[in-house]
Amino acid sequence: MVKNQIIRIYARYENYILSVLRFILVLIAMLMINSNVGFMSRLRNPAIALIVALLGSFLPLNATILLMGLIIVGHVYELSLECAVVVLFILILMFIIYFRFSPTDSAAIILTPVLFAFKIPYVIPVMLGLLGSPLSCVSVACGVVTYYVLDYLKLNADQLASSSESDIASMLNGFKYVIDGMLKNDTMFLMVIALGLTTLLIYLISRLSIPYCWKIAVGAGSIVELILLLAVGASFDAEISVGLAIFGIILGALVGVIIEFFAFNVDFGRVEYVQFQDDEYYYYVKALPKVTLEAPQNKVKRISTEE
Amino acid sequence: MTHMAAYEKGAGKRDISISEYFRGDYMSFQVWKSALYGILGFGIIVALNVLYDFSTFLTDFYKMNILEYFKDLAVKFGVFIAIYIVVSYFIYAYRYYRVRKHLDTYIRLLNELYAMYSNEKKQ
Repeated sequence: MVKNQIIRIYARYENYILSVLRFILVLIAMLMINSNVGFMSRLRNPAIALIVALLGSFLPLNATILLMGLIIVGHVYELSLECAVVVLFILILMFIIYFRFSPTDSAAIILTPVLFAFKIPYVIPVMLGLLGSPLSCVSVACGVVTYYVLDYLKLNADQLASSSESDIASMLNGFKYVIDGMLKNDTMFLMVIALGLTTLLIYLISRLSIPYCWKIAVGAGSIVELILLLAVGASFDAEISVGLAIFGIILGALVGVIIEFFAFNVDFGRVEYVQFQDDEYYYYVKALPKVTLEAPQNKVKRISTEE
Repeated sequence: MTHMAAYEKGAGKRDISISEYFRGDYMSFQVWKSALYGILGFGIIVALNVLYDFSTFLTDFYKMNILEYFKDLAVKFGVFIAIYIVVSYFIYAYRYYRVRKHLDTYIRLLNELYAMYSNEKKQ
C-alpha cells in the first residue's frame, strides 16, 4: 500500500522531485564550501549559495561542479595565492581524469564530500556500485580528494593565512608546505583505495547473473570495505574511527536495500516524455512504467443498532 | 515504440552519434583527445613538482645538465602518456562495444516495428 503510494507520487511528480533533490544537494554542498573555506566574504553570502543551488536544480550537474570549483578557488585565493594555485592545479587534474573517464557521475562528485561532512561516506560505494558504472570509482576518488583538500584548508587556515603575508621567498616555500599538507595524507589515500575498490567490487558482483546478486554485492562490498579500512588503516597509520566505520557500513547496507526498492519497483527515471509519428499521426506521449498495482479500495461498513 | 523513442531521446542520442564513426576512427579520435588531456595533466604534475621545491630547483638549475634533465623528463612523459593512452584505449573500446550492443537491440526493434507496419498495410 505505502509502496504503491510512493510509486504513484514519484511517477506523477518525478521532474519536480528530481529538481528539488538537486537543489538541496547543491545547497548543502555550497553551505559546506562556505563553512570549510568561506574566506571571501562576498562569495560567502548565502544569497550566492541559493543562486548556485537554483542554477544547479536545472543546469547540468557538470556545469554546477565547474562553478563550485571556481568558487572554491576564489575563496582560497583570499586565503593565500600559493594555496589557490595548488587547489586550482589539483582541481584541473581531477577534472581531466573525471571528464575523460566518468563524466556521467556528476552527482557522486558533489555527494561524496557532503556525505563525508555528515560522517557517512561509506554509503557512497553502495550507491554508485549499484547504480553507476565500473568507472564510478574515479568519481568517488575525486570526491574523496575534494573533501580532504577542503578539510585541510579549514583546519590550517590560520597558518596558511599568516605564511602568505611574508615575502616571495617564504611564499615559494609555502608551496611545499601546502602540497605536503594536501597530498601527503595517508587517511585520504586509504579512503580513496577503500571506497574506490568497494565501488568496483559492488558493481562487478551486482552485474553477475546469479539470484539476489544485488544483496550479495552489498553484503560482500560492506565486508571487504570494513576489512580494507581496518587492515590498510592499521598499516598506513590513518585516522579512522572504527565505530563510525561500522555504523556507516551498516547504514550503507540499508541504503542498498532502499536503492534496490527504487531501482526494481519504482523504476525511477523511467517516466519519459517522447514524441514519434506514423503515416497518419504525431504522438506526444508521457510514458509511465506499468508496475503500479491498484490500491485496494477500503470500504467502511458501519454496523449500528441505532436507526 | 515508446521504448525506442525514449532511447532515441536519452542514451540513444549519444550512442547514435558514436555509431556514426567507424570503430577505428572513433578510437583514434578518443586516443588523440586523451593524449591532449594527458599532456595537460603531465604539465600540471611537472609544475606542481617544480613549485614543491622551487628554491632548490632554481639553485640547481644552473648547475645541472639541462640535456640530461629534459631527457629524464621526456622518458617520464613517455611512460605517463603511454599508460594514460592504453587505459583510455581500453575504456573507449569497451564503451564502443556497449554502444554497438545497445544499437543492435534498437535496430532489431526497429525491424520488428517495420515488419508490423508492413503486415498492417498488407491487411
